[in-house]
Parts: sequence; structure tokens; C-alpha cells
Amino acid sequence: MITVQDLTYTYPGATGPALSRLSLTVPAGQVCAVIGANGAGKSTLCHALTGFIPHFFRGTLEGELRVAGLSIPDTQLAELAGTIGLVFQNPFNQITGARFSVLEEVAFGLENLGIAREEILDRCRSALELTGLQDLTDRSPYDLSGGQMQRLAIASMLAMRPRVLVLDEPTAQLDSAGTEAVFLHLRQLASTGQTTVLLVEHKLEWIAAFADRVLVLSEGSLAADGPPRQVLGSADLERAGLRPSRYTLAARRAQELGLASAAPLPVTLEQAVEFLG
Amino acid sequence: MSQGFSLYLARDSGLHRLHPLTKLSLAATLLVAAFALPGPWSSYAVFLLVLLPLAAWGKILPEFLRSVARSVLPFALSLFLIQGLLWPGGSPVAQLGPLSLKAEGLAFALASTGRILMIVSSFLLLALSTRPDLLMIALAQRGFPSTLSYIVVTTIQIVPYFQGKAQAILDAQRSRGLETEGGLRRRLRALLPLIVPLVLSSLLDVEERAIALEARAFGRRGTKTSLQVLSDSRAQSVLRWAILALAPLLLVAGLVR
Amino acid sequence: MRIRVEAVSYRYPSGVQALQAVSLSVEPGETVAVVGENGAGKTTLARHFNGLLRPQSGTISIGDWDARQHTVAQLSSRVGYVFQSPDDQLFARSVREEVAFGPKNLGWDSERVRESVDLALAQAGLSASAGRHPYDLSPSERKFVALAATLAMRTPIVILDEPTTGLDASGVDRLTGIVAALRQAGVSLLVISHDLDFCIEHVERALVMTKGRIVADGPVKEVFLEPQLLAQAQLRQPQLIRLARGLGIPVAPSTVEEFIEGYRHQRR
Repeated sequence: MITVQDLTYTYPGATGPALSRLSLTVPAGQVCAVIGANGAGKSTLCHALTGFIPHFFRGTLEGELRVAGLSIPDTQLAELAGTIGLVFQNPFNQITGARFSVLEEVAFGLENLGIAREEILDRCRSALELTGLQDLTDRSPYDLSGGQMQRLAIASMLAMRPRVLVLDEPTAQLDSAGTEAVFLHLRQLASTGQTTVLLVEHKLEWIAAFADRVLVLSEGSLAADGPPRQVLGSADLERAGLRPSRYTLAARRAQELGLASAAPLPVTLEQAVEFLG
Repeated sequence: MSQGFSLYLARDSGLHRLHPLTKLSLAATLLVAAFALPGPWSSYAVFLLVLLPLAAWGKILPEFLRSVARSVLPFALSLFLIQGLLWPGGSPVAQLGPLSLKAEGLAFALASTGRILMIVSSFLLLALSTRPDLLMIALAQRGFPSTLSYIVVTTIQIVPYFQGKAQAILDAQRSRGLETEGGLRRRLRALLPLIVPLVLSSLLDVEERAIALEARAFGRRGTKTSLQVLSDSRAQSVLRWAILALAPLLLVAGLVR
Repeated sequence: MRIRVEAVSYRYPSGVQALQAVSLSVEPGETVAVVGENGAGKTTLARHFNGLLRPQSGTISIGDWDARQHTVAQLSSRVGYVFQSPDDQLFARSVREEVAFGPKNLGWDSERVRESVDLALAQAGLSASAGRHPYDLSPSERKFVALAATLAMRTPIVILDEPTTGLDASGVDRLTGIVAALRQAGVSLLVISHDLDFCIEHVERALVMTKGRIVADGPVKEVFLEPQLLAQAQLRQPQLIRLARGLGIPVAPSTVEEFIEGYRHQRR
């Protein structure tokens, strides 16, 4: 579903590339988390996978970049919309402002795609159910909390039935309750297996319980790639400027002191309890 | 509906159910009529006999009167005073100290107020009974550029956001010791730390919003559909043409006179 | 400098009762975390300390000042507030100029301003970026510019509003260094945060707020040890506490070392 080969990208006027010979392949239906220190190229990757690089941000792009069968540099943004979805940090900036109710807000993208009215209603209803907003259809989008707004942004994307959904730190500006709700609904989406999900996040604890695969970006290239327990428990993390979760750190310390076995380090609470118990 | 600049009041009424363009054509024709109708009283007649009943039909009569009064009265008052007192020559009707109110001036003010009343109230009637987004959809269906309609509709909802942002910036700068009370010079110096963040962070927001819109296929060429169904009928279509046809007729009649 | 809040209530013009007869006091040099869900009243409370909001009933004293008798600008010499969104305040052409804004407003002479700005830049790790335009820096760097701008004002009380949002591991380390420096200098620190893992490592005392009231106020370990209490405010316990609970270890570790100690103890 996603094929990236030797991708190198430099922002206009920048001294060095933001992405450097990056290669990765993501099969359909996979839920892939992308982590990395600030400046590692995570947002750049999100923009590249959704076509905003190179079409919106210009700059120089080299290498192969194919998403959902489309070659990104050769396909216009307007054609990509609907096949590839993007959700980013700031919930407020993702509300169009042109619609006065939650239902119509979700319908906005479908109207632009020229979908028939009956189908619009169907898709909106199921997207709102999937994000737990079905009781708020008449509410003004601006009367929602931050977490609800973010779920609205996700619902608006889901209604367009993208083959690939890219989320760039969707919970960064949300409180714990908002974060939990977003991850709950993303997990439900992931379980349907119909959408390939690429999620950039800092909250390792959440990713560990939820992703099929974790990619670590460091200085524009891939520093690690594998299942959560393997990647989040490895020393690659620190090399990439990240810190493992406290579960992992506690387990590692116990291991160092001979208090625990030499098994793979845990990355979730359940795993840690099992490891140390 | 969230608070914003929108004047729209939701009601279950025939007026509200009319197609937005029907109401828009009435306002447009009355705009032309304001300059073409004879005498000072015809515009008041239109207001009393056409617009007030429509407002009543729309179940917005009290709010309509209030909005009209708020918009027109202050202007009318100053118009009467200025034209009445400063009319050159003319026949005085009353004395106000050393100055006198002239009949001609008052007559002029009466006619002008009538015109303003008719124009403002017809647009208020439109705004109070029509959802801005539906008006924009109606216009888009007739070929109005979608980017323009987007800007108009979002302005209604985005202005409170800017006010909120401006307040946040004010709070942040005051918390760093910025004095905003005081003399003119101090207030002027306070402008830069208030305006620059507003502009710069708004630019960032605009860029993000543009990306979000693109991701929702806003830039797509080709036909767009609409979730909202605008109820229309042959009768309304005929009515619109009839109303609009009045405009050039009135103009010609006005010129001929 | 002591903060004393007595029975403060505040209702927003929209009708939301954001604070209901809240009382607390913060001693000089204390570090306090204020936690709770969005809308609990944390920011509303904090904004009363520097005068951005005025209580509708009750009193607030900052040191010997009655907060209601002073303007926000005046209170800014005693209470520094680092807002969550740095983009709502950056306006200068260079980081240095930006950081100097606050001290200049306080009326210091240029020598004192320069000294304080240099120190603040060093504390925030921005000495190398002093001449750059703030918007040329990354969003997380801009957070540190906003932090330095408040540090430079050398206030005895500092409020940090969600300081860890958007920071990666190295950013959190930098923040940790700044917090340590502030504690060392005897500054009273209030940290509004939903990152309980960060809070438990760096503060002594925690206030839990929900629906306009303080429902818990005490040593951070004690407060964070009550899952029902935190759940009331829609919060989850810090990771190490949850791990200890899961293993039946009756301690509230704030660091990995403390956890290991408790773990060892249980193992014996």
C-alpha cells in the first residue's frame, strides 16, 4: 500500500535534506507507528505520503514514493484527497468553518467528491459512530471540546473512506481523556482492517498497545523497524534521541541488577507485570 | 448555531423555507427600487406593506424590528438633525436656539431615511431568515466561485476565533509587563507586541487550514453535491424572475419621470 | 513569596462556574502540580494569580499584595506565567530581543536587563540562537523562547502551563534542568500538567481539581496513590505507580530507582 524507495527531500532554502534516502514498505491494513525526536522528519514524512510534499511545500524530491498505487509526485493533490487522508495536531485548524453542524462538517469532503446525497448520509453516520460522536450531530463544531474536535477531524477523514490514513501527532494537544478516546477509536478502526494507518506519536505507552509495527526515524532516515516490543525495548531508541517508557526502564534496571531474567524487555504495563512478577 | 457574526435565527416558517435566492432577489430589487421609486412615502409604504408582513410570516417580527431600529435609527437621527439645520436657505419650521430646522432639509432627510430603511431592512430580512451556508450553496449552484463563498461563510465563524486569539495575545503580553492603559504613546507602543503575534500565528493557522481543506478535496474540479437540499419550486423560480424583472422596469420608470 | 487564596469563586460570562470557593496557600519555594481534566478550573485558578482574572468573591494575596489592587503588569514582577502556546506572544526580530521584552517592561536598567537575558538564554539552552528570528526556530524551540522570556523576569513565583506538550525526550531533559534551576533559586513553582509522570518526578505537592473544586491537596505521592481520586478527574496514575500496584508493591515510586528499591524489598 505504501512504497517508499530512497526518498530524499529538501525544503526550499534549507541547508540539508529533511528526509535522506528513506525506504520503507507498508502492506495494506497495517497499523504503523512512526516515532522519532523532534526534527527527525516525522511531519515531513506525513506530508510526503499525503502529497503536500511536493505539491504544497515545493522543495526538491527524489526517489520513489507510491501510496495506494499512485505515484505521489505525479498525482495532483485534488486527486489524492479521498484516497489518502491526513489528520494533524491542531483540532481547531481542521474544522472548515464553512459548516454549522457536526453532521454537515463531516459531509463537507464527500460533497466535494461529488458523492450522492444518500450515500453521504450513510457514510457520515457510520463515521460518526466509529468516532463516538453520533449524539452530537446537530452541535456546532465550535462548541466541541478539543478531544471531540479531533475526533470530528478523524470522522471527516474516515467518511471519505481513504485507503491510507496518516495521523501526525493527533493527541499532542489533548488531555488524558481526549487522548484515550482518540486511541480507542483508532483501535476500532484498525480492527476493521480496511484502512492502512500511519500514526506519528510521542506517547510510547499508547503505541505499544496498539501498533502492529514501529518505525523509528532519526535525522531523516529509518533507524529501526519492527514489532513494538522489539523496537520500543531496544537500545536503538536512545540512539535516536528517544526515551523508552518507564515500564521498559524499570524492567531494564531490574535486569541489570540480576533481579529479572534475560527475556525481551516489556513495553506495556501488562508485559511489565508479567516480566517482573 | 455557534455565536459568530451570523444574524440567522432558526424558525419553522414559510419565509425560512423559501429558497435563499428568492429572498436575495427581493433584496436586490428593493435596492434598485430605493433609488427609482417616487416621493418620500413609497419606501415607507414598501416597508410597512411588504417587509413587515414578511417578517411576521417569518416569525421574526420582534427581532426584525429591533435590528432595523438599531441599524437605522441612529443614522436617521443624525440625518434629520444635520439636513434640517444645515439646509441652505429654505423655509424654517422650528427654532433650535440660534439655528432653525428647515422644511426642505427635513423632507430630504425623510426621503433618504425611507430609502435606507427599505434597503437595510430587506437585507436584514434576508440575513435573519437565511442560513449563510445555504445561501452560499445556492450561489455556488449558480456558478458563484466556491473559494469566494468559502471566505464569506467562514468569516462569520472565524471572527470570534480571531477575537479569542487577540485576547490570548493580550493576556500573554500583559503577563510580561506590557502596560495597555495610559497615554496615546504608550498605547501605540503596545500595538506591535499585539499585532505581530496575531498576524504571524494567523498565517501559520491559515496554512494549516489550507492543508486541511485540500485534504477534504476542496480543490477538486468537477461537480460537487450537497447534503442540504434547498427546497425550490417552479412557482418560486417564476417569482424570482418576476421580482428581478421589476428592477429594470422601475429604473426606466424612474428615469423617465 | 507566599500565595494565599481564600474562598475564591469565579464564573465566566458564559455562565460556567469555573471555581467554587477554592482555598489554598503556597509557601515560598514550593513546587506544586495542578492536575485535572480540561475544564476543571486549573487555568482559571492560575490566571487569578497574575491578575488576568479577578475573583468574584474571596481574596488572593501574592506576598503582601492584595492581587485585586494591582494591574496585571504590576503583578508580572511577582508572578511569571509561561503560557501553553508560545506563538501567542512571540513578536520580536530576535530571540534576545524577545527575552528582553519582559525585563524592559519591569523598568530595569540596560545592564541588569542584559545580565538577566544572558542568564535566561543559557538556562533555556538558547545562547546559540540568541540572534535568530523566533519563527525561524522549530515549534519546540519556540516553547523554550517563551520559557526564557519569563525566566528573565526573575519572578519569585512561576507558573508553567502544560510545559511538556510537544517536547521530545531531550526537550523534557532541558525542561527538567530549568525546573531544577528554579527550585534551587527558591522560586515557587506551579505546574499545570496532565503529564503525571513528569509531575511526580519534579514536584513535592499535587492539587487535583475537578469541576471547579480542589478535591485533593497533599504530597504528590500520596495524592497520586489514589486511583479513584484521579479517575474522578479523568486521570490515570503515573506509570511507575501502576506498575508497583500491578505487582502488589505498596510504594509510590517517583523514579525508577525508587521502584527498584521497593521491588527488591518485596523480593526478599
